[in-house]
Amino acid sequence: MSKSAAPSAEAGETAFYTKDLSVYYGEKQAIKRISLNFPAREVIALIGPSGCGKSTFLRSLNRMNDVIPGVRTEGEVMIDGSNINAPGTDVVKLRQNIGMVWQKPNPFHKSIYDNVAFGPRYHGIRGKKQLDEIVERCLRRTALWDEVKDRLGSSALALSGGQQQRLCIARSLAVQPSILLMDEPASALDPISTAKIEELIAELKREFCIVIVTHNMHQAARISERTAFFLLGDLVEYGPTQAIFTNPSQRATDDYISGRFG
Amino acid sequence: MNAKTADRIAIAVVIAIAAVIMAVLAGLLGYLLFRGLSHVSWHFLTSAPQTIKTGGGIGPQLFNSIFLLVLTMLITVPLGLGAGIYMSEYAKANRFTAFVRLIVEVLSSFPSIVVGLFGLLIFVNQFGLKYSLVSGALALTVFNLPLMVRITEQSLAGVPREQKEAGLALGLSRWAAIRSVMLPIAFPTILTGTILAAGRVFGEAAALLFTAGMSSPRLDFTDWNPLHPASPLNPLRPAETLAVHIWKINSEGLAPDAPEIAAGASAMLIVIVLLFNFGARWLGRVIYRRMTASK
Amino acid sequence: MVKRKELDDGLKQLQDMLVEMGNRVEKALTDAMEALKRLDSAAARTIVASDLALNGLEEQVAELGAKLIATQQPVATDLRRILAALKISSDLERMGDLSVDVAKAVLRLEGQPLMKPLIDLPRMADIARTMIRESIQSYLEENVNLAYKMAKDDDLVDTIFAQVFREMLTMMAEDTGRINQAMLLSFVARYLERIADHATNIGESVVFLVMGNRPDLN
Repeated sequence: MSKSAAPSAEAGETAFYTKDLSVYYGEKQAIKRISLNFPAREVIALIGPSGCGKSTFLRSLNRMNDVIPGVRTEGEVMIDGSNINAPGTDVVKLRQNIGMVWQKPNPFHKSIYDNVAFGPRYHGIRGKKQLDEIVERCLRRTALWDEVKDRLGSSALALSGGQQQRLCIARSLAVQPSILLMDEPASALDPISTAKIEELIAELKREFCIVIVTHNMHQAARISERTAFFLLGDLVEYGPTQAIFTNPSQRATDDYISGRFG
Repeated sequence: MNAKTADRIAIAVVIAIAAVIMAVLAGLLGYLLFRGLSHVSWHFLTSAPQTIKTGGGIGPQLFNSIFLLVLTMLITVPLGLGAGIYMSEYAKANRFTAFVRLIVEVLSSFPSIVVGLFGLLIFVNQFGLKYSLVSGALALTVFNLPLMVRITEQSLAGVPREQKEAGLALGLSRWAAIRSVMLPIAFPTILTGTILAAGRVFGEAAALLFTAGMSSPRLDFTDWNPLHPASPLNPLRPAETLAVHIWKINSEGLAPDAPEIAAGASAMLIVIVLLFNFGARWLGRVIYRRMTASK
Repeated sequence: MVKRKELDDGLKQLQDMLVEMGNRVEKALTDAMEALKRLDSAAARTIVASDLALNGLEEQVAELGAKLIATQQPVATDLRRILAALKISSDLERMGDLSVDVAKAVLRLEGQPLMKPLIDLPRMADIARTMIRESIQSYLEENVNLAYKMAKDDDLVDTIFAQVFREMLTMMAEDTGRINQAMLLSFVARYLERIADHATNIGESVVFLVMGNRPDLN
């Protein structure tokens, strides 16, 4: 794995974008021709009421919808100049470049060390020193190292919820992605753990493009640079977070973020 | 009657039923073990049966039961595991798959004597395998394999979907996600299920009457070459198992101590099944702990 | 539509308080001009004392605004409503102070007879009073057009003020004994002009509330 450490795009430049992306569950169209661009080294929040398609949209960015039977995707997701939906795309390599974190922390039923080392090991790194270095680096990055350095061999399931979630983030960092996708990463956690995760995201965005789905408006307002509002599969509004939350241009956006809506 | 009284009555009834069941089980086990274990000795466990004299043993039959179990598992575990993984992870959810699943269910609930007769017709006669361990193992496969498939499928279904997705999201191929993420989690359930299946196989009699046979040739325990006819490891020889022997003793036993031999054999059967059960659960726990690094 | 009862009740309360403040400011201005016409020092002192209540109202508005922001976390239009209300109450409080300044000018005149009948000052005051009413109305209705109209009224007030100022200068030049009164009356004109400016500010806040940006209407 010889990915260069320097990010390829300046902050503000587009890291990747979608063009007329649509997703169908059988006959039902869950995502309706959405074109969004994601700037590098920023946090982009996707908000909207339940069922609006934001999670489906997120999952289509690393082709995780492929595992669901009956799902059809149309349109383009352009990363590094190529469309990931094109037939013949190396999905394995794609997913190496994109990390994913879920709502409920899902560490592997293995030790803390093995969780972080799992990805690199699978992709060919075998040397113990190298793996040790990767594990330490990723755990330090997610502010877990000091808490777990003496028990790297113990089960990941013994950690608290907040620690498990940080471990999951460390696990995805270990394969050196440039994009991080997070599906409501803090909604299953207590307020202090949530605050720690938000702090971590603020730290990580200096290096990664982070797309985060959240149903917590205030969290979106706190941590993101740009916000996209989804409704029933459509993109209603997309813009700088400050503008969206002080003066949105669409009435529906105003009603939703003011809590006067679903 | 008010809710609290109803609750108390319900609890009392449930406890009473549980107590009855436990008493029956304990009684059954206790009686059999009591009656039989007194007759068990080293001589009993190692010597061959006597047709008309006293002092016969169950040595060869014990060996046959164990060897037959090993052979059957050798066939059914890999096949069952593979088929179960396919059904659970690769097969599309359509009518054909549902149909296959139905057939599998039906097979596993066949009456064992019917399976035995089927084995007689196909394996013993048609394939020309005669009464042999191989015929017996193949017959047992007929209802052990569906069980293994179901066990594997259900164990994998019990693995949370997010585990597999986490693996995929790291860039794992589908097979790698199944092998390194899902199977370790499913392993204890698979193991437990396999033990239960093995227990059923070990105690099977009706299916083996006409496939593995009701006799065992003189075995030379010093000859371990599977190709020699007198070798215990020769899979093409007839092999009366412990369960079949118990039936035979009770139906046509001419030796004067037949009842004692039957009791002793039954007790041994139960003891081995129990050993099997507890031993493999312990082993499963140990392996799971090592694989997942839990305390 | 989900209702946000706490927030909506709070916003209504803010509105009511601002209307109350507007009424008081209008009354203070009317009474002050009346006192000026009749050179009524007693009335003037009453007006000065009544300013306390207005200041109290402004504090209440600030407190309620802070509470709503902290506990309801309003965003977008709701947030702008509260921010606008805070600014408007501040403008109204200043307008109250300016009316008091007019009353204080009456006290300083100490019963001197007026040099000439008051014409322009009452005219400015009338326009200012209308502007106070219109500013509150435009806020309640969230009516941007009314806010823009007030900008024109303000221009008119500015014109009259320039006229009054010139007139006072002339009077001072002609007769140095009139300097005291002329200056006081100039100040009064200035106070009225400032009241009109603050009313225009209220109009700007209304535009901010509705459109999201703050124009300069002065």
